[in-house]
Amino acid sequence: MSQTTSQAEREDLRASVRSFLATTSGEDQVRRLIGDERGWDESVWRRMADELGLLSLTLPPDHGGDGFGAPELQVVLEEQGRALLPSPYFSTVVLAATALAASGDEAAQATHLPAIGAGTTTATLAVAEADGSWRTDRPATTAVRAGSGWTLSGTKQLVVDGATADVVLVVAGTDAGPGLFAVAGDDPGLTRTPLRTLDPTRRIARLEFADAAAVPVGAPGAAGAVVDRVLDVATAALAAEQVGAARACLEAAVGYARERVQFGRAIGSFQAVKHKCADMFVRVQLADAAATEAAAALAGGEGLPDPGVAAAVAHVVCSEAFMFVAAENIQVHGGIGFTWEHPAHLYFRRAKSSQLLFGGPAAYHERLLARLGV
Amino acid sequence: MPIEMDDFVAEVRSFLDAHAPRRPHGDAEVDWGTGIDRISYFSTDPPDVEAENVAAARAWQRRRYDAGLGWIVGPPEYGGRGLTAVHDMVYDSVEAEYEVPDTGVLSLIGLGMIGPTILAHAQQQIRERYLPAMYAGDVIACQLFSEPAAGSDLAAVSTRAVRDGDAWVIDGQKVWTSIAHHAQIGLALCRTDPDRPKHKGITAFLVDMSAPGVDVRPLRQMSGGAEFNEVFLTDVRVPDEHRIGAVNDGWRVALTTLMNERASVGGEGAGPAGRAVSLPFLTALLKANDRLGDAAARRRLAELYADQAATEYLNHQAVRRLREGGQPGPEASVSKLMYGQNLTRGAHFAAEVVGPRLLADTGEWGTFSWTELLLSTPALRILGGTEEIMKNILAERVLGLPKESGTDATTPFRELRRSGGTA
Repeated sequence: MSQTTSQAEREDLRASVRSFLATTSGEDQVRRLIGDERGWDESVWRRMADELGLLSLTLPPDHGGDGFGAPELQVVLEEQGRALLPSPYFSTVVLAATALAASGDEAAQATHLPAIGAGTTTATLAVAEADGSWRTDRPATTAVRAGSGWTLSGTKQLVVDGATADVVLVVAGTDAGPGLFAVAGDDPGLTRTPLRTLDPTRRIARLEFADAAAVPVGAPGAAGAVVDRVLDVATAALAAEQVGAARACLEAAVGYARERVQFGRAIGSFQAVKHKCADMFVRVQLADAAATEAAAALAGGEGLPDPGVAAAVAHVVCSEAFMFVAAENIQVHGGIGFTWEHPAHLYFRRAKSSQLLFGGPAAYHERLLARLGV
Repeated sequence: MPIEMDDFVAEVRSFLDAHAPRRPHGDAEVDWGTGIDRISYFSTDPPDVEAENVAAARAWQRRRYDAGLGWIVGPPEYGGRGLTAVHDMVYDSVEAEYEVPDTGVLSLIGLGMIGPTILAHAQQQIRERYLPAMYAGDVIACQLFSEPAAGSDLAAVSTRAVRDGDAWVIDGQKVWTSIAHHAQIGLALCRTDPDRPKHKGITAFLVDMSAPGVDVRPLRQMSGGAEFNEVFLTDVRVPDEHRIGAVNDGWRVALTTLMNERASVGGEGAGPAGRAVSLPFLTALLKANDRLGDAAARRRLAELYADQAATEYLNHQAVRRLREGGQPGPEASVSKLMYGQNLTRGAHFAAEVVGPRLLADTGEWGTFSWTELLLSTPALRILGGTEEIMKNILAERVLGLPKESGTDATTPFRELRRSGGTA
């Protein structure tokens, strides 16, 4: 059972994350990191660990964590989405740490989680291959026994923060079925290629393994169940990030509609613009409700929907809402919204890349129906 | 007397446990092809069934009233309980877990909107005469507001009231008046000074619906039934004591009424229409039509369910916040917009699955019966404030966008351009 917080405590957490990001992830800093080779700021990462304790917040207490759950993670990710913080938080704390926790592998957890919580190790999870899907049933990447250990070979695509992660968790086929393996980021058998990205605030790499040294994580052949759990937690977490970013777009559009004057009046007094803003508001409120319910359901409690269903609902609703709001924000801004200098396109890029990260509409609609048993 | 929310919930549960069965948990199993083949949004019951429903509503309201739960927010001197709006919403959310008669005929307009208006603006003797009787289920009230030329722009009413000694004489026409055919009283907005700007020349009156000159005629809607009315008022005499609020101050009275018009939080997915577009029912529809493997149909089903679920989550969270002592937010407006959209999308989705069999009643179960819901859906974007007005409210009151500029609020009513009627 995870640690819980009251609404007021979560609002305190939100305020402290927001004020931290206001000074460390303003537009200038985000733009500087877009041109940076690494893509994220190591000193900000350290402070997130040391000053705010964000990296250990949701890790299990047995391994140096504070044991909080999805509702607290939701707050942190909403604020990161709002600020478009370029950071390996999603890959490390959400994808990799959840996979480690779900694997049930105590030794792997003891090896990696304390260092993740302390901010000294970043990690990621490599599932997708050529087609970009997060299916685990037939990976072309394979792991074989080599002496007392294992080696892993194959190519993983679209690995979030893959070029900088200290540890890469990889789904690879074995005789017992798809298993999960840990590979060191600097293993000589691993070639990492950073790729040009649609969203420059979230880095992506191609990882080519050639007999890389690999350590099994969890039971052999059990990667399917681990990735399934990761997808529930990660889509709910992504939903929170999408809500925070979508609300930033709504606020930007409404603020501009209030001050921009054409035809002698604020454009926000025209119903065409007013209704656009109201439509954006409706979608953001729904998305917020979906992300909140998914987080609450994952944490467990009475009168809540099935966590898998709620997470799948949130993934659909928040993906669509953010994409809609990011596009409408540009429309409300008109020409200025289409410039490189205006931040609206950064949100648009994040919106589309988040929507497609785990397979996009075709995958998330089927995932929802599967969760519902239809 | 303040009462802890936990104690209040316990009291409500014990009252409901004593008088009503619990609703079964979760969605009912769908047994496709059996039962009454009817999917309606508006009640289209024959008059005898409708009369029975009204009687059941009155009886249940009387039971609540006798238990001290008939008017939770009302002052005790008029039969109320003296608790907060939050207690009221919590009551609704708990009652939604039980099978009880639908009291909408009493509560939606009369108890929810007219009662608070009488309390806020009527003279003492009018409050004493009507409020306890309304909340005990004896008197049903309707709202004589909309007119053919005053829809979204309600302040443009042109029904006239002219003073005649101790009374007023009312002439004009009201429209879209729900439940007027069951009501004993109606709250009417009338033009009393056409030389003042539109908001400043209106007076409100409580009209006895059985008075001479009140003519209630059913208004047949596009869906075929007649759940609304037109009300013609011809030389209707109303005593001055039935004036609600000051002369020419009727807009303020109307605002009290409208502010009490809140979409019910939670429970909106209930009812035959909500069940028809629910996941189990639509899944059964797809299965019966051999379309469960159709990728396009599956995708639309998932999209629809995701929005329905998110709307439900929004309502649940509003109720949870209220139970924890929070304040109502803008959820009701969002929920109303989504409710209309979800039902509309569901009906069109079902129509597509049924295909050409929707064209004519072939007698096949679960096909032509969708027409009734389909033909009701346009109303959901209009009634209780059109989609456009709801969006204006969200944009102006929640997002703080400026009002549209215009001179209609400062021009004498007589000089305004209007559709149809004259002052």
